[in-house]
Formats: sequence, structure tokens, C-alpha cells
Amino acid sequence: MASNNGQFEQDNSSGFPDEMIRRFLLGDLSATERPAFEERLLVDDALAARVRLAELELADDYAYGQLSGTERELITEKFLLSADRERKVRVSRSLRDHFASAPNTSTGSAAYFKKVRSVFTIAQPVWRFAFAVVVLLVLFGAALLVIKEPRIVRRIANVVVPRRRPTPSAPREAGHPNNTLAPEHQTTPSAMPVHDQTVAPMIVSVSLMPTAASPGDATPWISLPKGDEDIARLQLAVKLDQLGPYHVELLTSAGQPVLSGELIKAPDNGAQVNFDVTARLLKSGDYQIRLSGDNAGATEELGKYYFRVR
Amino acid sequence: MTPARKLHTLQQEEFDRLLTWLDPDAARAGLNYEEIRWRLIAILTSRGCRAPEELADETIDRVARRVADIRDTYLGDKALYFLGVMNNVHHEYLKRPEMPRLPDCDDDVDAKEQTHACLEKCLDHLAPNSRKLIERYYAADKQAKIDLRKRIAVEFGIGINTLRLRALRIREKLQTCIEQCLEIETF
Repeated sequence: MASNNGQFEQDNSSGFPDEMIRRFLLGDLSATERPAFEERLLVDDALAARVRLAELELADDYAYGQLSGTERELITEKFLLSADRERKVRVSRSLRDHFASAPNTSTGSAAYFKKVRSVFTIAQPVWRFAFAVVVLLVLFGAALLVIKEPRIVRRIANVVVPRRRPTPSAPREAGHPNNTLAPEHQTTPSAMPVHDQTVAPMIVSVSLMPTAASPGDATPWISLPKGDEDIARLQLAVKLDQLGPYHVELLTSAGQPVLSGELIKAPDNGAQVNFDVTARLLKSGDYQIRLSGDNAGATEELGKYYFRVR
Repeated sequence: MTPARKLHTLQQEEFDRLLTWLDPDAARAGLNYEEIRWRLIAILTSRGCRAPEELADETIDRVARRVADIRDTYLGDKALYFLGVMNNVHHEYLKRPEMPRLPDCDDDVDAKEQTHACLEKCLDHLAPNSRKLIERYYAADKQAKIDLRKRIAVEFGIGINTLRLRALRIREKLQTCIEQCLEIETF
């Protein structure tokens, strides 16, 4: 395994470097080197011991593919000529197969994991059968899901393709109006981006001004979106210097709470704060919104907004 | 030596005489015999001989037959006597027509599996430190091994050459253990 860079310790007395031993094993000694080496090998036990170890090392190097081109040629021509060496190479290959694929395993664990792995290999017929059954069950379950639970499928699709946050409206320079008359309101359904049509929710928005009481027939309205996950965006007009956070409550006309939460005005949203309500929470009818904010540690009502869902 | 003598197979008496000549102690004589045989095979293989075991055995047979004649007169290192005889045997081998080279064949799957099973058994017989060392020593290949072995040497508080020597000695034990295990599995 190791390259020929250094002699075996304690065995240098015989005076033959490891490199020469390796050349002897590869049949590569010169005619002048050979007789002295052979004679010494027969009478010197230390040299014989070094040759034995070098022989194993060469077998290992061969099995691990670590020989040069010349050495590879010599090993088949001059080294692998005895049954004893064939056996050594066979063991070297076994060592390579056993250890080289499982580096740095602790004692006993390599064999254990090998056994465990062989039990769980896909080549075992029982696992092949089990795998086929699992695949069939998954396919059957997926088909059932698509047929019976389209809503779940739609939710999954929404999770897989992240929803795009709608771009906040451009800031407006208008201040908070002083008149109490309800302005003309237009419901302006946002156009859906073409590439999001299959997954992005529809957003229907309406601008609402604060009023002291329900404006009656002049109440701004929105059309209820068809999809449960579609959004009604209620754009509440606030004073420009009201930074929030806001506490918002959505109530039916009868005063029943539907939804409440905290809102933060987008920095570039000017005198408006968006209150997004999932369409499934809304039904046809009149609603009111109560907006409050924090003022020097006390809650202050900032306005009421009325709208109608058709 | 007559051709008839050449064909003569080694008799038990001649073999015993050889062992006694190598060492009066039977156990040490057996070890000497194995050691000389292995060294002869190594030399013959290095010379490119395609039947090293066969020629080594032929060398030993010839020495065994000569022991009765030389045991009282030969003064040098006994192993060197084998070398002289082996040179003759090898010289004769070179005059023979070259043997066709058998095609290389990969190990069959059974042999691989048996070797692998024996390796696992033999690893279990190693002392925990030896096993840890050998697992880490053989874990990486190519460039990664150099860095890894430096780290192992530091971890074990030894030099890189000492690490190499230790690992190869453990490897040698594994080889012996695996070969014994494979013999048991075969029979």
C-alpha cells in the first residue's frame, strides 16, 4: 500500500533498500544485482521478513490500482506467477472491497452496517413487492384526492407556487377629506397577471372613507369573489400622519364580529391602509369596520367604515 | 544421476534425513524447510519462472537425495547449497520449451465470497487496536491515503514507517488466518 519511500524500520542491517526489494519482486533486478540479492535472501532472515512484507504491500498496491504502468506490466509477467501470490492478491482485493468503500468505520460497525444494508437492499424480492404496493397506494391516494377533494388540491397548489404579494397602491398626496358626504366609489377588481391565473387568488379592492354612520344607499360595495381564497382588499383612508399600528375590527351590520387584527401601513401607502379579508369570511350583506390606534398609551378610535358585499 | 533416478519420487526416509540435516529439532527443521522453500519460490518467480513451486520442490527433492552424501562433508550455509542446486534446476528449466501462459481469469464469485467471509472472521480475531489500525490504514486509496496515514500515525503516536510496518505485520497475520480459514471452508 505505501509507496517505496522509506525502509522498514529495524531491518536496515541487511543493506538492501526497500526500493531494491520491490524491484526484486517485480523481477527487475539487473544481472549484477541479482546474485548478491538472492544469496543474501537465502541466508538473511531479516531480509526474508522484509521481502515477505513487501510482497504483501505490492499485492495491496496492485489490488488498489496504485501501480505505475511499468509496474503493472511487470506484476503480471514476473510477480503473479505463484499460487501463493494469487492468494495474497485475492485477500488484498477483499480488503479493498471491505474497507475502501467504508472509510473510518469504527470497530465492528462496518460488518454490522453491511449486514443491515443487505437486509434492506431493493434486490430482496420482499422489498420489491413492498415497494410496488407503496407506489400503487400512493397513486390511488393521489387519484382519490384529485377527484374527491379539489379544494385540498388547490391549497396544495397554492403552497407549492408562492402567492405574489400585491403591489401596494401608489402613494397619494390627498389629505383626509373634511366633508361628511360619501364620495363616489368604484369597485375596481385587480387584473390578474396572466402567469398567475391558475394559482394566485383574485383580489377585489374597494376604497373606503371613514363616516360617522352608515351612508345607506351610498354605501360602497364590492362583488363577493367566487373563490374561497380570493381576497377582498378594503383600502381604508387614514390621516397621512397616522403611522399605526392600527387595530381593526370587521363586524356585520348587526355588530357581530367577523375578524379583527392589527394592521401596519405600508411606508409608501400614503394616507391609506389595506385591510385584506379572505372572501370565505364574507357573505352578501352590509359590514362595518372599526379602526383604532394607540395614542399616548390609550386606544383611540380613528374611524368607522361601511361597505356592502353583493 | 540416471534418468530413472530423476523420476524417482522422494522417499520418506530421504525426506526425514533432509529435515534432520536442516535441524536436529523436528519443529525447527520443519520451519527451516518451509522458509527455504518460500525463498526458493521467491527467487524463481523473480527470475520469471512460470512454475516456481514445481521447480522449488524439484530442488528440494534433489538436495534430499544428496544429503546422505554431503551431510558429513558440507561446511557452508545449508541454505546456500539449495541455491546452487536450484541454479542447476532453473538452468535445465530454461532449456525446456516455454510453457504456454494460462489466460488470466478473475476469481469466481464463490471464492470471493469465501475470502470475504474469512476476512470478516479473521478481523474479529484481531485485538481492538490492531483492528482499528488496519481498518483505517486500508480505508482510503490514491492521494487520500497519504494524508490519512499521516493522520493515523499522529493519532497512534508513531512514525509513518512504523505505522507501515505495523499495518503490514497485521496484514501478514490476516493473510495466514484467511488462508487457514479458507482451507477449513474448502474441506
